[in-house]
Amino acid sequence: MKFIIFAGTPGSGKTSIIKYIIQELKDDFKLFFAKFDCLRTSDDERIAKEYKIPAVKKLAGELCPDHYTALEIPKILKENQDKDIIILETAGLCLRCSPYIKEGLGINVLDITSGDPSRYGPILTGADIVAVSKGDLISQAEREIFRAKILKVNPTVKIVETNGLTGEGAIDIAEYIKLSPEIMSKKLTLKHSMPSALCGYCYGNKIVDEKEEQQRALAGKELKNLVPNLNCGKCGFKSCNEFIRAVLDGNTKKEQCPFIK
Amino acid sequence: MSKKIEKITILPGINKYGKKENFEKIDIKKGETIAIIGHTGAGKSQLLYDIERLAQKDTKSRRKILVNDKIPDREIRFNPKRKLIASLAQSMNFLTDVSVRDFLQLHLESRGKKSRQGLLEEVIEEANKITGEAISPEMNLLNLSGGQSRALMVSDVANISISPIILIDEIENAGIKKEEAIKILVEEGKIILIVTHDPSLALNTDKRIIVKDGGIVKILNTSLKEKGIAHYLNWIGNYSLDIREKIRRGEEIKNIEIYCEPIKFKNNT
Repeated sequence: MKFIIFAGTPGSGKTSIIKYIIQELKDDFKLFFAKFDCLRTSDDERIAKEYKIPAVKKLAGELCPDHYTALEIPKILKENQDKDIIILETAGLCLRCSPYIKEGLGINVLDITSGDPSRYGPILTGADIVAVSKGDLISQAEREIFRAKILKVNPTVKIVETNGLTGEGAIDIAEYIKLSPEIMSKKLTLKHSMPSALCGYCYGNKIVDEKEEQQRALAGKELKNLVPNLNCGKCGFKSCNEFIRAVLDGNTKKEQCPFIK
Repeated sequence: MSKKIEKITILPGINKYGKKENFEKIDIKKGETIAIIGHTGAGKSQLLYDIERLAQKDTKSRRKILVNDKIPDREIRFNPKRKLIASLAQSMNFLTDVSVRDFLQLHLESRGKKSRQGLLEEVIEEANKITGEAISPEMNLLNLSGGQSRALMVSDVANISISPIILIDEIENAGIKKEEAIKILVEEGKIILIVTHDPSLALNTDKRIIVKDGGIVKILNTSLKEKGIAHYLNWIGNYSLDIREKIRRGEEIKNIEIYCEPIKFKNNT
């Protein structure tokens, strides 16, 4: 099985180019598509309908979308053991998190109009492939300068110029996907650690104040030790973290968790 | 690194209905200028794209492009430092907030080339030959007009992205002196392919490739008579550009002088 992650800022053209790549691969491989987003998306339904491949949407809701992605990956893998290639599209918000997997292939869709690439963190520096999008909007000279700047921050990355409207570049990326390694070992590793999310704001604090933040952080950690962290959903919430926030906000009782006595 | 290109060859693919293109092969030799002609959506840009990436039956059209009768290696297809092809696309917007001089310097570095004394000034000087509004090295790239941007890119392609094959997509939307621009680009035995709707450009080439429904349907050799017609049309175009400049300078246009020196052919019969 091959495991491919697409990351890139919203509007960079991830879904457009993924569609052309799926078109290239779907006749020869068993595909699965997972679309992560924050609040809503219908890309999974569109892709399932158009290309007749199984697809799923995963909405992060109250959680950090990239942390949520990492939390969900083992489930997706377990449920799709019969597939050849899993294509995962991240919500595309965080330049810092971008949970690329060492054993798989990480593809950054990078909008050429988005400014100097040296500003980006792991979303670009951790990618195996950069799919530069919207290059048709600028001159070849500027495209070449952009390319040189990408190589400065990620010297080993493969750069493919893509066009989400015409599908240019999709064949090249499909080739790289075909050549990418199978995920052999069961244990996957993140390419880089994600920033810690342990403060009071992670537990839903809204008041911008040192004391409030600290109190919420302490209360949150206390609950975190009580819940099973299984994300079993028996409390009615998607994850333990979401449940903790709801308790702290007073929207539910901690006894709703069957593991808390 | 062999940059000596004697010819490229287009081998047939399929049109958008899956039908095989009806030609055996098209050879384009060093020094030739080819026009690619067809309606919007007919497949002109696809043909340029096939040539730009030296397609090996791996694009929508399934065409194959040979260089000197051989399949080109992967390295020259994708590494810009070794690329054989420079292209002038339809859009010429700039996004980088730097001066013209710094931009050219950056481009030179990204191509892995060293600058020499006076090169950047020469690039700008050459650009100024084809635009009515002079560019200076200190101007900010973002403030260039459409015509200035085009002129700068034409000169960049001729002097910095020096490549044996040049692809031009619809240069006529530009407000620059077309014939001058082509002259700057064409020198030293390069292969030029131009996508164009402009009659004077189309008729001033060696061959015309006609595309329809995603496939090549016809190949015409440009006749001497057509080159003569191109010359007249170009004269009219430049005359109109002169008047445009006068109007922009605030002058009054009092009369029109239609007199064009006829082109002289050596073997005119």
